Amino acid sequence: MNKLSAKRGLKVIGITLLIYAVLVAPHEGEFWPFSIYPMFSQAGNPWTRAMVLDVTDQPADEIWEMHALEDRTADAVPVGRYGVDQIDFSNFVSKTENWTEQRRNALITMFGADEIQDQQWMVSKVKGELVGQDSVAIRIVPFIKITADDTELNPNLPESDYFRGAQ
Amino acid sequence: MSWKEKLSYELFEPDRDQSPGEIVFFKLFELFVLFYTIKFAWEWGVYTQFRNVEVVLPLGLANYFDISIFFDYNLALINAGFITIIGIASYFRLGYKWQYMVVMVLLHIQYVARFSQGEIPHSQNLIGMSVLCFAIGAWFFPDKKQMPRFVMGSIIFFIGLGYTSAFFAKLIGTGFNWFDGRHLWLWIGEKSIDILSREGAWSPNFLQSLALQSTAMASLILLIGWFTELIGFTMWWKKLRPYTTTLLIGMHFGITLTMNIRFDAFVIQLILVGFPWYILLDRYIKSTPKYLKRWV
Repeated sequence: MNKLSAKRGLKVIGITLLIYAVLVAPHEGEFWPFSIYPMFSQAGNPWTRAMVLDVTDQPADEIWEMHALEDRTADAVPVGRYGVDQIDFSNFVSKTENWTEQRRNALITMFGADEIQDQQWMVSKVKGELVGQDSVAIRIVPFIKITADDTELNPNLPESDYFRGAQ
Repeated sequence: MSWKEKLSYELFEPDRDQSPGEIVFFKLFELFVLFYTIKFAWEWGVYTQFRNVEVVLPLGLANYFDISIFFDYNLALINAGFITIIGIASYFRLGYKWQYMVVMVLLHIQYVARFSQGEIPHSQNLIGMSVLCFAIGAWFFPDKKQMPRFVMGSIIFFIGLGYTSAFFAKLIGTGFNWFDGRHLWLWIGEKSIDILSREGAWSPNFLQSLALQSTAMASLILLIGWFTELIGFTMWWKKLRPYTTTLLIGMHFGITLTMNIRFDAFVIQLILVGFPWYILLDRYIKSTPKYLKRWV
Protein backbone atom coordinates (compact mmCIF):
# COMPACT_ATOMS: atom_id res chain seq x y z
CA MET A 1 0.00 0.00 0.00
CA ASN A 2 1.42 3.41 -0.94
CA LYS A 3 0.98 6.74 0.84
CA LEU A 4 -1.84 7.84 -1.45
CA SER A 5 -3.80 4.62 -0.84
CA ALA A 6 -3.21 4.96 2.89
CA LYS A 7 -4.69 8.44 2.79
CA ARG A 8 -7.66 7.13 0.79
CA GLY A 9 -7.99 4.28 3.28
CA LEU A 10 -8.44 6.72 6.13
CA LYS A 11 -11.02 8.62 4.09
CA VAL A 12 -12.99 5.40 3.52
CA ILE A 13 -12.82 4.66 7.26
CA GLY A 14 -14.16 8.19 7.89
CA ILE A 15 -17.11 7.63 5.54
CA THR A 16 -17.80 4.24 7.15
CA LEU A 17 -17.71 5.93 10.55
CA LEU A 18 -20.25 8.46 9.35
CA ILE A 19 -22.57 5.68 8.13
CA TYR A 20 -21.92 3.94 11.50
CA ALA A 21 -23.12 7.06 13.37
CA VAL A 22 -26.13 7.61 11.10
CA LEU A 23 -27.28 4.01 11.60
CA VAL A 24 -26.75 3.64 15.35
CA ALA A 25 -28.14 7.07 16.32
CA PRO A 26 -31.82 6.38 15.54
CA HIS A 27 -31.60 2.69 16.57
CA GLU A 28 -30.70 3.07 20.27
CA GLY A 29 -27.01 2.50 19.67
CA GLU A 30 -27.36 -0.82 17.84
CA PHE A 31 -27.30 -1.64 14.15
CA TRP A 32 -25.32 -4.86 13.91
CA PRO A 33 -22.40 -5.06 13.54
CA PHE A 34 -22.30 -1.35 14.43
CA SER A 35 -22.74 -0.63 18.11
CA ILE A 36 -21.85 1.92 20.75
CA TYR A 37 -21.31 -1.13 23.02
CA PRO A 38 -23.69 -0.07 25.80
CA MET A 39 -23.56 -3.39 27.69
CA PHE A 40 -23.30 -2.89 31.45
CA SER A 41 -23.50 0.88 30.95
CA GLN A 42 -26.35 1.34 33.42
CA ALA A 43 -24.98 0.05 36.68
CA GLY A 44 -26.83 -0.47 39.94
CA ASN A 45 -30.30 -0.94 38.44
CA PRO A 46 -32.59 -3.71 39.74
CA TRP A 47 -32.81 -6.63 37.31
CA THR A 48 -35.31 -9.34 36.43
CA ARG A 49 -34.38 -12.77 35.07
CA ALA A 50 -36.33 -15.99 34.82
CA MET A 51 -36.00 -19.60 35.82
CA VAL A 52 -38.11 -22.73 35.97
CA LEU A 53 -38.71 -24.61 39.22
CA ASP A 54 -39.91 -28.17 39.42
CA VAL A 55 -42.89 -27.93 41.82
CA THR A 56 -44.31 -31.40 41.11
CA ASP A 57 -43.72 -32.59 44.67
CA GLN A 58 -44.19 -29.27 46.44
CA PRO A 59 -47.24 -28.62 48.70
CA ALA A 60 -49.98 -27.01 46.54
CA ASP A 61 -50.57 -24.17 49.01
CA GLU A 62 -46.91 -23.09 48.93
CA ILE A 63 -46.04 -23.10 45.24
CA TRP A 64 -47.41 -19.60 44.57
CA GLU A 65 -45.57 -17.92 47.46
CA MET A 66 -42.89 -15.36 46.71
CA HIS A 67 -39.64 -16.28 48.48
CA ALA A 68 -35.97 -15.35 48.77
CA LEU A 69 -33.45 -17.26 46.66
CA GLU A 70 -31.83 -18.71 49.79
CA ASP A 71 -35.22 -20.11 50.92
CA ARG A 72 -35.78 -22.00 47.67
CA THR A 73 -36.83 -25.60 48.19
CA ALA A 74 -37.83 -26.59 44.65
CA ASP A 75 -35.11 -27.75 42.22
CA ALA A 76 -34.26 -25.55 39.26
CA VAL A 77 -35.10 -27.13 35.91
CA PRO A 78 -31.92 -26.81 33.78
CA VAL A 79 -33.39 -25.20 30.67
CA GLY A 80 -30.21 -25.81 28.66
CA ARG A 81 -30.90 -29.54 28.86
CA TYR A 82 -34.05 -28.95 26.80
CA GLY A 83 -32.23 -26.96 24.11
CA VAL A 84 -33.65 -23.65 25.36
CA ASP A 85 -31.36 -20.62 25.32
CA GLN A 86 -31.49 -19.24 28.87
CA ILE A 87 -31.01 -15.63 27.78
CA ASP A 88 -33.86 -15.83 25.25
CA PHE A 89 -36.08 -17.57 27.77
CA SER A 90 -35.34 -14.92 30.38
CA ASN A 91 -36.16 -12.12 27.97
CA PHE A 92 -39.30 -13.84 26.80
CA VAL A 93 -40.57 -14.05 30.37
CA SER A 94 -39.40 -10.66 31.63
CA LYS A 95 -40.26 -8.58 28.55
CA THR A 96 -43.64 -10.01 27.56
CA GLU A 97 -46.27 -7.46 28.55
CA ASN A 98 -49.45 -9.30 27.57
CA TRP A 99 -49.60 -12.94 28.49
CA THR A 100 -52.13 -14.02 25.88
CA GLU A 101 -53.00 -17.70 25.56
CA GLN A 102 -50.62 -17.91 22.61
CA ARG A 103 -47.73 -16.54 24.69
CA ARG A 104 -48.49 -18.88 27.59
CA ASN A 105 -48.65 -21.89 25.29
CA ALA A 106 -45.36 -20.80 23.71
CA LEU A 107 -43.75 -21.69 27.06
CA ILE A 108 -44.95 -25.28 26.71
CA THR A 109 -43.83 -25.37 23.06
CA MET A 110 -40.41 -24.04 24.08
CA PHE A 111 -39.72 -27.08 26.29
CA GLY A 112 -41.94 -29.57 24.52
CA ALA A 113 -45.01 -31.24 26.04
CA ASP A 114 -43.25 -34.62 25.68
CA GLU A 115 -40.45 -33.38 27.92
CA ILE A 116 -42.76 -31.98 30.60
CA GLN A 117 -44.86 -35.17 30.69
CA ASP A 118 -46.73 -35.35 34.02
CA GLN A 119 -44.51 -32.85 35.85
CA GLN A 120 -45.56 -29.40 37.08
CA TRP A 121 -43.10 -26.64 36.31
CA MET A 122 -43.23 -23.11 37.71
CA VAL A 123 -41.95 -20.45 35.36
CA SER A 124 -40.70 -17.81 37.80
CA LYS A 125 -39.40 -14.30 37.61
CA VAL A 126 -36.28 -13.69 39.66
CA LYS A 127 -35.70 -10.12 40.81
CA GLY A 128 -32.47 -8.69 42.18
CA GLU A 129 -31.71 -5.33 43.76
CA LEU A 130 -29.22 -3.58 45.99
CA VAL A 131 -30.44 -3.34 49.58
CA GLY A 132 -28.82 -0.88 51.97
CA GLN A 133 -25.08 -0.38 51.71
CA ASP A 134 -23.80 -3.88 51.58
CA SER A 135 -26.14 -6.51 50.22
CA VAL A 136 -28.02 -7.78 47.18
CA ALA A 137 -31.52 -9.20 47.68
CA ILE A 138 -32.71 -11.83 45.22
CA ARG A 139 -36.34 -12.99 45.36
CA ILE A 140 -38.26 -15.54 43.33
CA VAL A 141 -41.75 -14.65 42.09
CA PRO A 142 -43.75 -17.72 40.92
CA PHE A 143 -45.39 -16.55 37.70
CA ILE A 144 -46.92 -19.21 35.44
CA LYS A 145 -47.33 -22.90 36.21
CA ILE A 146 -47.05 -25.10 33.15
CA THR A 147 -47.92 -28.72 32.59
CA ALA A 148 -47.84 -30.68 29.34
CA ASP A 149 -51.22 -29.33 28.28
CA ASP A 150 -52.14 -26.39 30.49
CA THR A 151 -50.93 -23.12 32.00
CA GLU A 152 -52.02 -21.36 35.19
CA LEU A 153 -51.34 -17.81 36.38
CA ASN A 154 -50.33 -16.97 39.94
CA PRO A 155 -53.61 -16.10 41.77
CA ASN A 156 -51.66 -13.93 44.25
CA LEU A 157 -50.45 -11.50 41.59
CA PRO A 158 -52.56 -8.63 40.22
CA GLU A 159 -53.87 -8.91 36.64
CA SER A 160 -51.75 -5.91 35.69
CA ASP A 161 -48.67 -8.14 36.09
CA TYR A 162 -49.92 -10.19 33.13
CA PHE A 163 -51.75 -7.69 30.94
CA ARG A 164 -50.30 -4.21 30.59
CA GLY A 165 -51.73 -3.20 27.22
CA ALA A 166 -54.41 -4.24 24.78
CA GLN A 167 -54.85 -8.00 24.61
CA MET B 1 2.81 15.47 8.87
CA SER B 2 -0.86 16.00 9.80
CA TRP B 3 -2.60 13.79 12.39
CA LYS B 4 -4.52 12.13 9.56
CA GLU B 5 -1.31 11.15 7.80
CA LYS B 6 0.16 9.94 11.09
CA LEU B 7 -2.89 7.81 11.79
CA SER B 8 -2.90 6.37 8.28
CA TYR B 9 0.79 5.45 8.73
CA GLU B 10 0.05 3.69 12.02
CA LEU B 11 -2.91 1.75 10.62
CA PHE B 12 -1.74 0.93 7.08
CA GLU B 13 2.07 1.17 7.29
CA PRO B 14 2.52 2.37 3.68
CA ASP B 15 6.33 2.36 3.95
CA ARG B 16 6.56 -1.34 4.71
CA ASP B 17 6.87 -3.78 1.79
CA GLN B 18 4.46 -6.66 1.53
CA SER B 19 6.12 -9.91 2.64
CA PRO B 20 5.20 -13.59 2.07
CA GLY B 21 4.44 -13.92 5.78
CA GLU B 22 1.97 -11.06 5.62
CA ILE B 23 0.06 -12.66 2.73
CA VAL B 24 -0.04 -16.08 4.43
CA PHE B 25 -1.21 -14.49 7.69
CA PHE B 26 -3.87 -12.45 5.86
CA LYS B 27 -5.37 -15.53 4.21
CA LEU B 28 -5.26 -17.46 7.49
CA PHE B 29 -7.04 -14.58 9.21
CA GLU B 30 -9.62 -14.42 6.42
CA LEU B 31 -10.15 -18.16 6.84
CA PHE B 32 -10.77 -17.60 10.55
CA VAL B 33 -13.37 -14.91 9.77
CA LEU B 34 -14.98 -17.11 7.10
CA PHE B 35 -15.14 -20.06 9.51
CA TYR B 36 -16.93 -18.03 12.18
CA THR B 37 -19.19 -16.38 9.58
CA ILE B 38 -20.39 -19.79 8.39
CA LYS B 39 -20.57 -21.14 11.96
CA PHE B 40 -22.71 -18.22 13.15
CA ALA B 41 -24.87 -18.29 10.01
CA TRP B 42 -25.83 -21.93 10.63
CA GLU B 43 -26.15 -21.68 14.42
CA TRP B 44 -28.42 -18.64 14.11
CA GLY B 45 -30.27 -20.19 11.18
CA VAL B 46 -31.03 -23.46 12.97
CA TYR B 47 -32.11 -21.65 16.16
CA THR B 48 -34.32 -19.23 14.23
CA GLN B 49 -35.96 -22.04 12.27
CA PHE B 50 -36.68 -24.29 15.23
CA ARG B 51 -37.01 -21.97 18.26
CA ASN B 52 -38.14 -18.48 17.33
CA VAL B 53 -41.89 -18.02 17.45
CA GLU B 54 -42.54 -14.31 17.91
CA VAL B 55 -40.53 -11.12 17.50
CA VAL B 56 -39.89 -9.62 20.94
CA LEU B 57 -37.33 -6.99 19.89
CA PRO B 58 -36.81 -5.90 16.26
CA LEU B 59 -33.17 -4.94 15.58
CA GLY B 60 -31.48 -3.29 12.60
CA LEU B 61 -33.29 -3.91 9.32
CA ALA B 62 -35.98 -5.82 11.24
CA ASN B 63 -37.35 -2.39 12.18
CA TYR B 64 -38.44 -1.96 8.58
CA PHE B 65 -39.97 -5.33 7.63
CA ASP B 66 -41.51 -8.28 9.42
CA ILE B 67 -38.48 -10.44 10.21
CA SER B 68 -40.71 -13.25 11.49
CA ILE B 69 -41.00 -14.42 7.87
CA PHE B 70 -37.52 -15.91 8.46
CA PHE B 71 -38.96 -18.14 11.20
CA ASP B 72 -40.79 -20.18 8.55
CA TYR B 73 -40.34 -21.65 5.08
CA ASN B 74 -36.76 -22.68 5.98
CA LEU B 75 -35.71 -19.14 5.01
CA ALA B 76 -33.13 -18.87 7.80
CA LEU B 77 -31.53 -22.14 6.65
CA ILE B 78 -31.61 -21.07 3.00
CA ASN B 79 -30.00 -17.78 4.02
CA ALA B 80 -27.26 -19.70 5.85
CA GLY B 81 -26.70 -21.70 2.66
CA PHE B 82 -26.31 -18.52 0.59
CA ILE B 83 -23.92 -17.02 3.15
CA THR B 84 -21.83 -20.19 3.01
CA ILE B 85 -21.62 -20.39 -0.80
CA ILE B 86 -21.04 -16.68 -1.43
CA GLY B 87 -18.60 -16.48 1.51
CA ILE B 88 -16.47 -19.36 0.19
CA ALA B 89 -16.53 -17.90 -3.35
CA SER B 90 -15.44 -14.54 -1.94
CA TYR B 91 -12.57 -16.17 -0.06
CA PHE B 92 -11.23 -17.60 -3.31
CA ARG B 93 -11.94 -14.28 -5.11
CA LEU B 94 -14.39 -15.98 -7.46
CA GLY B 95 -17.13 -13.73 -8.81
CA TYR B 96 -17.60 -10.03 -8.24
CA LYS B 97 -15.68 -7.69 -5.97
CA TRP B 98 -18.90 -6.50 -4.30
CA GLN B 99 -20.15 -9.92 -3.28
CA TYR B 100 -18.52 -9.80 0.19
CA MET B 101 -20.98 -6.96 0.83
CA VAL B 102 -23.82 -9.36 -0.01
CA VAL B 103 -22.46 -11.73 2.67
CA MET B 104 -22.49 -8.79 5.09
CA VAL B 105 -26.13 -7.91 4.38
CA LEU B 106 -27.28 -11.56 4.54
CA LEU B 107 -25.39 -12.05 7.82
CA HIS B 108 -27.04 -8.92 9.23
CA ILE B 109 -30.46 -10.35 8.35
CA GLN B 110 -29.48 -13.68 9.94
CA TYR B 111 -28.43 -11.85 13.13
CA VAL B 112 -31.60 -9.75 13.44
CA ALA B 113 -33.76 -12.84 12.79
CA ARG B 114 -31.97 -14.88 15.46
CA PHE B 115 -31.68 -12.13 18.05
CA SER B 116 -35.22 -10.83 17.78
CA GLN B 117 -35.94 -12.42 21.16
CA GLY B 118 -35.03 -9.52 23.45
CA GLU B 119 -31.31 -9.88 24.16
CA ILE B 120 -28.64 -7.99 22.22
CA PRO B 121 -25.39 -9.96 22.40
CA HIS B 122 -22.12 -8.33 21.33
CA SER B 123 -19.76 -11.29 21.23
CA GLN B 124 -20.26 -11.67 17.47
CA ASN B 125 -19.74 -7.98 16.63
CA LEU B 126 -16.04 -8.27 15.86
CA ILE B 127 -16.67 -11.00 13.28
CA GLY B 128 -19.41 -8.81 11.77
CA MET B 129 -17.10 -5.78 11.65
CA SER B 130 -14.40 -7.94 10.05
CA VAL B 131 -16.78 -9.14 7.33
CA LEU B 132 -17.69 -5.48 6.71
CA CYS B 133 -14.01 -4.49 6.46
CA PHE B 134 -13.40 -7.37 4.02
CA ALA B 135 -16.43 -6.19 2.03
CA ILE B 136 -15.19 -2.59 1.85
CA GLY B 137 -11.63 -3.73 1.15
CA ALA B 138 -12.63 -6.10 -1.66
CA TRP B 139 -14.81 -3.43 -3.24
CA PHE B 140 -12.66 -0.29 -2.92
CA PHE B 141 -9.13 -1.69 -2.50
CA PRO B 142 -9.11 -4.87 -4.64
CA ASP B 143 -5.39 -4.58 -5.44
CA LYS B 144 -3.38 -7.45 -3.92
CA LYS B 145 -1.06 -5.05 -2.12
CA GLN B 146 -3.79 -2.72 -0.88
CA MET B 147 -6.53 -5.02 0.33
CA PRO B 148 -4.66 -6.82 3.17
CA ARG B 149 -3.41 -3.52 4.59
CA PHE B 150 -6.77 -1.80 4.37
CA VAL B 151 -8.67 -4.72 5.87
CA MET B 152 -6.33 -5.23 8.82
CA GLY B 153 -5.91 -1.48 9.44
CA SER B 154 -9.64 -0.78 9.40
CA ILE B 155 -10.41 -3.74 11.67
CA ILE B 156 -7.85 -2.46 14.19
CA PHE B 157 -9.38 1.01 13.96
CA PHE B 158 -12.91 -0.22 14.71
CA ILE B 159 -11.82 -2.57 17.50
CA GLY B 160 -10.01 0.27 19.28
CA LEU B 161 -12.92 2.61 18.75
CA GLY B 162 -15.40 0.04 20.08
CA TYR B 163 -13.62 -0.40 23.41
CA THR B 164 -13.23 3.33 23.99
CA SER B 165 -16.88 3.80 23.02
CA ALA B 166 -17.84 1.21 25.65
CA PHE B 167 -15.95 3.26 28.28
CA PHE B 168 -17.90 6.41 27.42
CA ALA B 169 -21.22 4.53 27.26
CA LYS B 170 -20.63 3.56 30.91
CA LEU B 171 -19.55 7.05 31.89
CA ILE B 172 -22.65 8.57 30.30
CA GLY B 173 -25.00 5.76 31.39
CA THR B 174 -23.98 5.74 35.06
CA GLY B 175 -21.36 8.38 35.84
CA PHE B 176 -18.00 8.28 37.59
CA ASN B 177 -19.33 5.91 40.26
CA TRP B 178 -19.76 3.15 37.62
CA PHE B 179 -16.91 1.20 39.24
CA ASP B 180 -18.68 0.99 42.64
CA GLY B 181 -18.05 -2.64 43.63
CA ARG B 182 -21.67 -3.21 44.62
CA HIS B 183 -22.59 -2.91 40.95
CA LEU B 184 -20.42 -5.97 40.33
CA TRP B 185 -22.26 -7.80 43.12
CA LEU B 186 -25.53 -7.14 41.33
CA TRP B 187 -24.16 -8.44 38.02
CA ILE B 188 -22.66 -11.52 39.66
CA GLY B 189 -26.09 -12.16 41.23
CA GLU B 190 -27.79 -11.74 37.86
CA LYS B 191 -25.39 -14.06 36.07
CA SER B 192 -25.64 -16.61 38.89
CA ILE B 193 -29.37 -16.86 38.16
CA ASP B 194 -28.67 -17.38 34.46
CA ILE B 195 -26.26 -20.22 35.24
CA LEU B 196 -28.57 -21.73 37.86
CA SER B 197 -31.43 -21.63 35.37
CA ARG B 198 -29.38 -23.04 32.50
CA GLU B 199 -27.44 -25.72 34.40
CA GLY B 200 -29.57 -26.35 37.48
CA ALA B 201 -26.71 -25.37 39.81
CA TRP B 202 -24.23 -22.54 40.44
CA SER B 203 -21.40 -21.89 42.84
CA PRO B 204 -19.04 -18.89 42.86
CA ASN B 205 -15.48 -19.29 41.58
CA PHE B 206 -12.38 -17.87 43.29
CA LEU B 207 -12.57 -14.38 41.74
CA GLN B 208 -16.33 -14.10 42.34
CA SER B 209 -15.88 -15.11 45.99
CA LEU B 210 -13.11 -12.52 46.34
CA ALA B 211 -15.30 -9.78 44.80
CA LEU B 212 -18.33 -10.73 46.90
CA GLN B 213 -16.30 -10.57 50.14
CA SER B 214 -15.03 -7.03 49.67
CA THR B 215 -16.48 -3.91 48.06
CA ALA B 216 -12.96 -2.54 47.61
CA MET B 217 -11.83 -5.63 45.71
CA ALA B 218 -14.97 -5.58 43.54
CA SER B 219 -14.41 -1.87 42.82
CA LEU B 220 -10.77 -2.49 41.90
CA ILE B 221 -11.80 -5.24 39.44
CA LEU B 222 -14.29 -2.89 37.76
CA LEU B 223 -11.86 0.02 37.71
CA ILE B 224 -9.11 -2.00 36.01
CA GLY B 225 -11.58 -3.23 33.37
CA TRP B 226 -13.01 0.24 32.78
CA PHE B 227 -9.57 1.81 32.41
CA THR B 228 -8.58 -0.90 29.93
CA GLU B 229 -11.62 -0.03 27.83
CA LEU B 230 -10.68 3.66 27.90
CA ILE B 231 -7.25 3.01 26.43
CA GLY B 232 -8.65 0.68 23.74
CA PHE B 233 -8.02 3.28 21.05
CA THR B 234 -4.27 3.13 21.70
CA MET B 235 -4.36 -0.02 19.53
CA TRP B 236 -4.20 2.38 16.60
CA TRP B 237 -0.48 2.91 17.29
CA LYS B 238 1.48 -0.10 16.09
CA LYS B 239 4.11 0.08 18.86
CA LEU B 240 1.46 0.17 21.61
CA ARG B 241 -0.83 -2.40 19.91
CA PRO B 242 0.61 -5.61 21.47
CA TYR B 243 0.50 -4.11 24.97
CA THR B 244 -3.05 -2.76 24.64
CA THR B 245 -4.18 -6.07 23.13
CA THR B 246 -2.65 -8.00 26.03
CA LEU B 247 -4.55 -5.82 28.51
CA LEU B 248 -7.80 -6.26 26.55
CA ILE B 249 -7.38 -10.05 26.48
CA GLY B 250 -6.75 -9.96 30.24
CA MET B 251 -9.92 -7.91 30.68
CA HIS B 252 -11.94 -10.48 28.75
CA PHE B 253 -10.63 -13.29 30.97
CA GLY B 254 -11.66 -11.14 33.94
CA ILE B 255 -15.18 -10.73 32.53
CA THR B 256 -15.40 -14.48 31.92
CA LEU B 257 -14.36 -15.24 35.49
CA THR B 258 -16.52 -12.63 37.23
CA MET B 259 -19.61 -12.68 35.03
CA ASN B 260 -19.48 -16.03 33.24
CA ILE B 261 -19.61 -14.38 29.82
CA ARG B 262 -17.35 -16.03 27.25
CA PHE B 263 -16.00 -14.19 24.22
CA ASP B 264 -14.22 -16.97 22.30
CA ALA B 265 -14.32 -15.43 18.81
CA PHE B 266 -13.59 -11.99 20.28
CA VAL B 267 -10.47 -13.14 22.15
CA ILE B 268 -9.12 -15.28 19.28
CA GLN B 269 -9.55 -12.31 16.96
CA LEU B 270 -7.75 -10.00 19.39
CA ILE B 271 -4.87 -12.48 19.53
CA LEU B 272 -4.75 -12.56 15.72
CA VAL B 273 -4.93 -8.83 14.98
CA GLY B 274 -3.12 -7.44 18.00
CA PHE B 275 0.31 -8.92 17.37
CA PRO B 276 2.61 -8.75 14.29
CA TRP B 277 2.42 -12.46 13.43
CA TYR B 278 3.82 -11.84 9.93
CA ILE B 279 7.28 -11.27 11.46
CA LEU B 280 7.23 -14.79 12.89
CA LEU B 281 5.88 -16.29 9.64
CA ASP B 282 8.54 -14.50 7.57
CA ARG B 283 11.22 -16.43 9.44
CA TYR B 284 9.89 -19.67 7.97
CA ILE B 285 8.23 -18.62 4.69
CA LYS B 286 10.56 -17.19 2.08
CA SER B 287 8.19 -16.95 -0.90
CA THR B 288 4.42 -16.76 -1.36
CA PRO B 289 2.85 -19.92 -2.81
CA LYS B 290 1.45 -19.24 -6.32
CA TYR B 291 -2.08 -20.46 -5.54
CA LEU B 292 -2.22 -18.16 -2.52
CA LYS B 293 -1.33 -15.12 -4.64
CA ARG B 294 -4.46 -15.73 -6.72
CA TRP B 295 -6.69 -15.64 -3.64
CA VAL B 296 -5.42 -12.36 -2.14
